[in-house]
Amino acid sequence: MRDEEPRMTPSSLVSVVDDDESVRESLPDLLKEFGFAARSFSSAEEFLASEFVGQTDCLILDVGMPGMSGPELQRELKLRGQHIPIVFITGNGDEAVRPRVLAQGAVACLFKPFSDTALLEALNTALQVN
Amino acid sequence: MSERQENTSGEVKRLQRCLNDMVSVLALPAMWSGSQPSQIVHILLDALLEMLGLDLVYACLQDPAGGAPIEVLKIAPSAKWKLADEIHKTVNQWFGDDPQKWPSRLRASIADEDVSIVSQRCGLHGEIGVIVAGSDRADFPDQTETLLLNVAANQAVIGLHEARFLLEQKRVAGELDRRVAQRTAELAAVNDELRKEIAERHRAEEALLENELNSRLILHSIPGLVCTMSPAGEVDRFNPQILEYFGKTPEELKGWAISDAVHSDDVPRVVAAFTHSIATGTPYDIEHRCRRADGVYRWFQVRALPVRNTAERITGWYVLLTDVDDRKRAEEALRASERDLSSIINTIPMLAWSARPDGFCDFLNQRWLDFTGLSSEQARGSGWGATIHPDDAKGLLDSWQMALVTGQLADVEARMRRFDGEYRWFLLRASPLRDESGKIVKWYGTNTDIDDRKRAEEELQRSEAFLAEGERLSLSGSFLWRLDTDEITFSEQLYRIHEFDRDSPVTLERIRSRIHPEDLPLLSEKIERARAGGDSVLNYEIRLGMPNGSVKFVRTIAHGTRDRDGRPEIMGAVQDVTERRLAEEALNQARSDLTHVTRVTSLGVLTASIAHEVNQPLSGIITNAGTCLRMLAAEPPNVEGARETAKRTIRDGNRAAELITRLRALFSKRESTTEPVDLNEAAQEVIALSLSELQRNRVILRPEFADDLPVVTGDRVQLQQVILNLLKNASDAMRAVNDRPRQLQIRTERGTDDQVRLTVQDAGVGLDPQSTDRLFQAFYTTKNDGMGIGLSVSRSIIERHHGRLWAEPNDGPGATFSFSIPPRQGGASDAG
Repeated sequence: MRDEEPRMTPSSLVSVVDDDESVRESLPDLLKEFGFAARSFSSAEEFLASEFVGQTDCLILDVGMPGMSGPELQRELKLRGQHIPIVFITGNGDEAVRPRVLAQGAVACLFKPFSDTALLEALNTALQVN
Repeated sequence: MSERQENTSGEVKRLQRCLNDMVSVLALPAMWSGSQPSQIVHILLDALLEMLGLDLVYACLQDPAGGAPIEVLKIAPSAKWKLADEIHKTVNQWFGDDPQKWPSRLRASIADEDVSIVSQRCGLHGEIGVIVAGSDRADFPDQTETLLLNVAANQAVIGLHEARFLLEQKRVAGELDRRVAQRTAELAAVNDELRKEIAERHRAEEALLENELNSRLILHSIPGLVCTMSPAGEVDRFNPQILEYFGKTPEELKGWAISDAVHSDDVPRVVAAFTHSIATGTPYDIEHRCRRADGVYRWFQVRALPVRNTAERITGWYVLLTDVDDRKRAEEALRASERDLSSIINTIPMLAWSARPDGFCDFLNQRWLDFTGLSSEQARGSGWGATIHPDDAKGLLDSWQMALVTGQLADVEARMRRFDGEYRWFLLRASPLRDESGKIVKWYGTNTDIDDRKRAEEELQRSEAFLAEGERLSLSGSFLWRLDTDEITFSEQLYRIHEFDRDSPVTLERIRSRIHPEDLPLLSEKIERARAGGDSVLNYEIRLGMPNGSVKFVRTIAHGTRDRDGRPEIMGAVQDVTERRLAEEALNQARSDLTHVTRVTSLGVLTASIAHEVNQPLSGIITNAGTCLRMLAAEPPNVEGARETAKRTIRDGNRAAELITRLRALFSKRESTTEPVDLNEAAQEVIALSLSELQRNRVILRPEFADDLPVVTGDRVQLQQVILNLLKNASDAMRAVNDRPRQLQIRTERGTDDQVRLTVQDAGVGLDPQSTDRLFQAFYTTKNDGMGIGLSVSRSIIERHHGRLWAEPNDGPGATFSFSIPPRQGGASDAG
């Protein structure tokens, strides 16, 4: 798996923050298939409180969540000086979200459901940026 | 002549004769004693004529009795001449008119013969008269003849004096006799009078005595109390009855005025009348009470009449006391009875009157007068006619005229004007009073106030008309069903509703034939209940199958009751609710359509949220599928991992399918269903659907679900629609809020009366108190993009669940919307 995809640092950590459980279940497996280390969090607050903020190489972030939303976390991280590449995912078909988060420096914004290749492409872009 | 010649020869002889003559003259008075003066004069003159041989002698002498002068002339038969009757004139011719101046002697010629005439005056001054003597002798008178004449004149005077005296004496004696006789007659008359008076008095005394005896007898035997009084009014005599009655002594009775003999109430009146009579002498007549010996007062008529003597002076009073107590009491009783009658006539609660046979009204009782306000004078005769209502007057008068002719009056109803101008209905009745011959002598009538009954009748008629009209308009009829006889009475409208022929009686069988076949068991059940239940209320809706194939819905509300005889009956109302039922169905349809539209509209707003919800599992599926493929494509294939991801794919697929089903339900237009609903669960699903929308509006949702919430019965989707609507409204209300957290609390709880309550509380703009009522009206909205039907539809949904939806302002900012619906009957509370 690891030699098949663009070679990253073997220990590149991708953190997933999404309140939806099925995403948190399925996405880490796919990320591992891609050869990343994966961590998942159910909320922005949980992620911020964890020890992985600094170790995260790329953040897959849900836009709409109870409590702190995706964009808010984006701002918060920027404020903290944590320049983690972010790939937004959103189940909401609101097209207005994408330009906003991209303007804030997000690498990509994927609408659920998205294909594994689209995700991988976004991740690669993010890690290159990084 | 020869004798004279002889004188010369015989003086003695002459002297002798003179003496004889003198004696004769002196004797004359004896001759005329007691004679009348005229006789005396005659005797004297006859004597002188003869004695002196005179040819004539004449005397004119005063009548000593005061009569006419006595004039006598005597002429000797030997004289050759006659003297006429007028000797007086002749003498006067001879001597002149005044006898006082007559010469004592003269010569006169009578029948051509010379005659010596002498006059001799009689009385001291000749006042008695004169005697005249004549002779043809020339020597006449010689001395003796003059003497004789002188004496004769004196004798005549004396004789006349005597005669006068005698006459006087006789006159006095006669007068005396007359006087005596008169006096005697007077005395006799007086005596006679006296005798008569004595006799009269005697008789009177006897009569008086008899009277007295009679009076006493009368007094003693008269059946009344009698007494007498002095002119001054002092009682002096009593009959025994009076003493016996009063039981008092005469002395006591004399002081009646100060004793108790007269009733003290009557004393002033009695004293006044008594004093008046005594003072004026007018008869006294008064009725008053007198005390009987036993102390009982009885009424007496006391009459007193004055007794007057012939001089009209009052000599006393007769007083009669007549016991009139019985009469008085009878009168009193009569008066009382008349008073009673009068008071009956005047107080009976009807107007009474009488009329003469000719119809002239001659009496109207007080009530009649009080009612009409007319005076008796105004109403008498035909004046009463003015009180009759103009519309009724003619009919009444016709009847009355007819009655006067036929003697029979039919009952007449007419309006009479009251004193205040208001007309009231009266029943007028009259009957004639007939004498023995059957002739009508009087009409007696009464007018009875029947206004209330009349009005009640009118009211009843009106109310019946109202009822009929009301039944017609409301398409409802009424019925009465006698349970013991199964006799059924239908109102007119009920006949119409059943389209029954009115001519045949209504029977249970007939009703059954009209019932929709599917509802016959229902009818049977109700009939059984009615028969068994007695007083229970029946309230059911049933369908009628009409002959033309149409169906009518009728609602029956009835209850058991009992008639006056205690027999059970069912009384009820039946309303044709077909139109309402159809309208309700149409309304339900419309409401259902509306509900769907609003639901779709609401969900449309939640598209993003729904997409998110759908995309989540889709996202999972695709990711898992991708992972699975990658695991299988690995060398060696990670079969275990692939199986795991495939399982998750299936799970997410199911989850998505479930979501779609739920969405389809929400979007679908379908009949409402009734099922047990857990409000917590339903609310959580709605929250799940709305979550992303709420998050997008940065609403902080705080759910607070009760653990022991009872299950309710209803349409899950419709209830969710209400919850969704409330959440959306709350979220919208906070869109403009930036100065405070957009908190939204959704809470379920068990409310009062076990009602299940759901509350949505926001911190938004709140409610305008004035528009709170209008919030639930359709098309009322405060939002720019809303249609204003959300709350209206929500309320109608909740009401269809027999619940209530309301809004109230918060203590702080924002508003709270709540609904409560009853828990499922018999359902245990399921934990949510």
